[in-house]
Order: sequence, then C-alpha cells, then structure tokens
Amino acid sequence: MTLAIILVIAAVLSLVAILGVAITRSLQISSDASLASQIRPVDVEAFRNLADPVEDAYLRSRLPVAEFRKVRRARLRALAAYVRTAGKNAAVLVRMGQNALASNDAATAEAAQQLVNQALLLRRNAAHALLRIYAAMAWPNSHLAAAPILDRYNQLSGAAMLLGRLQNPAVPVRIAVW
Amino acid sequence: MFLEERGCRGIVRGDSMFEAHSFLWHYLWVAPNLLLGALGGILWRRGVHKEFRTFFVYAWFQAVQWAVLYPIDVISSIPAADFWRVYWLSSLLESIIVFILISDIFANVFGSYAALAHLGKLLIRWAGALLLITATAFGARAPIDHPFWFIPASHVLQEAMYVVVSGLILLLFVSAAYFRLAWNHRVFGIALGLGVSACVHLATWAVMANGGLAEKRHLLDLVNLATFHVAVLIWFYYLLVPETVARKPLVALPENNLAVWNRELERLLQQ
Repeated sequence: MTLAIILVIAAVLSLVAILGVAITRSLQISSDASLASQIRPVDVEAFRNLADPVEDAYLRSRLPVAEFRKVRRARLRALAAYVRTAGKNAAVLVRMGQNALASNDAATAEAAQQLVNQALLLRRNAAHALLRIYAAMAWPNSHLAAAPILDRYNQLSGAAMLLGRLQNPAVPVRIAVW
Repeated sequence: MFLEERGCRGIVRGDSMFEAHSFLWHYLWVAPNLLLGALGGILWRRGVHKEFRTFFVYAWFQAVQWAVLYPIDVISSIPAADFWRVYWLSSLLESIIVFILISDIFANVFGSYAALAHLGKLLIRWAGALLLITATAFGARAPIDHPFWFIPASHVLQEAMYVVVSGLILLLFVSAAYFRLAWNHRVFGIALGLGVSACVHLATWAVMANGGLAEKRHLLDLVNLATFHVAVLIWFYYLLVPETVARKPLVALPENNLAVWNRELERLLQQ
C-alpha cells in the first residue's frame, strides 16, 4: 500500500499543479495591460563582468582557495539574480510579442514573431544557465560559460526594440541598460 | 463498471446511490459516454474533427468502448471473466490512442514556436520514456494474485497508463506555463480534461492495483465515473463554446531612452 499512497500523493499534487496553471492562465489573460511595467532593466555590463572567465581566473590566482570559493559563490549568486531577471523579462516579452502577433500590420506581426522566438530561446537558455550556475555554486572551482545567454539577451533587446518601433514609433523602448 | 464482484446486475433499488448498479452508477457510466459520442458527432458536423483528429478518434473510441462493455456488464448471462478480457484489450487500445493524443497536443503547443519545436519533441520522448520506466517499476510491485490474471493485470495496466498520462500532462502544463505559451483554446480544454481525469484515475487505480479499499471498490468506480463525466463536460465547454477573445490593447512598451539605447546598440554591433 506504500506504493499506492505515493501514487495518490503524486496524483493529488499533479492535479493541484494542473488546476493552478489553468487558473493562473485565465488570470494572466486579464492582466496583460500592465505587462510593460513588469520589465526590469538588466545591467548587461555588470552581468558580462560577473560571467567573465578572465575575472574568475584572476581571482583564483590572487585569493586563497577558501576565500576564492566564498567570493565565487557570491558572484554566482549575483549572476543567478541577473539571469533570473533576464528570464523574467523574456517571459514578459513573450506575452507582449504574442499580443502583437494578431496585428493587421504584416511587419509588426513579423517582428512580434521574431521577438517571441528569441524570447523563448532566452527563456530556455536562462533555465539552462541557472542549472549550471547552481551546479557551479555546489562546485565553485568548476568553469562556467554564461556568454551564450548574454549574446541571446543582446539579440532579444534588438528584437524588442524593432517591435516597439513598428507598433509605436513615438514611444522609446529599452529592455537592457548598457 | 470495474467491479470484480458483478453478481448483482440491472438497476439496484438499494438504499444507497453509491452502490454498484444503482441509478447513479448507471447514469455516470452511460451519460458521459453518450455525451462524448454526441460531441464527436457535433465535431464531425462542424468539420472541426479534421483539426482535432486524434481527439475525435478518442471520443468515438470511448463511446464504442462503452457500447461494448456496458451490455457485457449488465447482461447477466455473460460471464464476468469475459467482461475483464474485453476490458483488458480495450484498455490497451485506449492507451495507444491516448498517447497519440498527448503527442498531438505537445506538437500543437510547442510546434507553433520554431524556438521550442525541437524541445517539445525531446520533452515528450525523454519524459515519456522515464515515466514508462517508472510506471513499469510501480506495476512490477503490484500484486497479481487472482485466478483470472487479466483482472489485476487490467488494474496494473490502468495504473501504468495513468502514471504516464498524468506525468506527461503535468509536464505539458508546467512547461507551457514556464515559457508563457499561448494555448489554442480548444487544445487547452482537451489537455485540461485529460489532465483532471488522468490524475484522479491515477489515484484510484493505484489504490485498486495495490489491493487497497477492497470493500469499497464501488466507491472508487464511482469516483472514476464522476471524474470522467467532469472531463467530458470540460471538453464540451472548450470545444463547443467559442473563446471570448478579450480585445487586447496594443502593447504599451516601457517608456525609455531610445536614443541612448540605439547609440549603445550600434556601438555593440560595431565591436
């Protein structure tokens, strides 16, 4: 019966999660108007610095091992915060792009499609990067490559800007702070 | 429906509506399947069945499965063992149809995004394989201690099927929520009905397959039947009631310094 209990608990949790997602989806539909305010600027330069392997190598050569681990973990925590924010921004941009997909203007719809695809790629890469960052926090001496995330974020910013221009040429757009 | 003790047939005029072969029991077995058959017919008439071909097949399969199993269960001259033989076979067919249906739902949700189409395929393949191994491991531990092996085997098969189905549907909902994917209204309804039904069926079949609540099996049957009824009503709503499309305002992008942004972007591109 232990197996049955495990499966019953798993089933109940799954049902709660599915219903939770379904309810959240319907609530999100009604709150699309405030999407833009959810975007948080990301300081790409600071992110680049934190992700720079040369910086890590420099710190490794200068600091005692225990001290390096401590500093590296702190840097990784900061890096994770940046990635999470970038990922959240991408999620908001997916929804903004999807709203614009229905536009009658072909150029706007195309830009929206591009934005959605790039934002989805960033979202996927952000999840992947977070896994690697958390793994690196467990083993601080390991190497970490987060550069692809940064490149994707740069591309995403360009796509968002293009969409913003097409939709409303008078309103300035920014999703990254340089 | 899925009773091992099926001596009492026809409509029972017992004290409890929660007994097997009570009016409620008959209603819960008959109504949702007739409704599902009717839904299939409506989809056909509206020409929507081409868009949801696998669900259409699933709906008709359920209706036909009922049309075969219900008389076998009710007609007292047919041995109970025959019911379970037919049930075991139809469960196998149902499993195949449900997996194809879920695969179609994954393709529909992820396939419209170039960036995620490949990920969607990977998810269903790997998660499906992992869930199948898990289901096999759970099934292997369940007791098969009945003279008619296909009775406990049917329980185990149902348990295994719902481990995989509920796991895949959960994965679908969680990943779609993570990526903020926009669902097709009807596909969402199909997945929701399937998910709700699969989770409840997983719990009840897990208890049955592992020999739990032996004296209260009829209650588990009723829970399964009632849940399937709810799922059918969900499918009716999402497939027949048009989506109320809220007029979305043109996305107001955040106010910011475009000039500075442009200048810095160009500087980056020139590096």
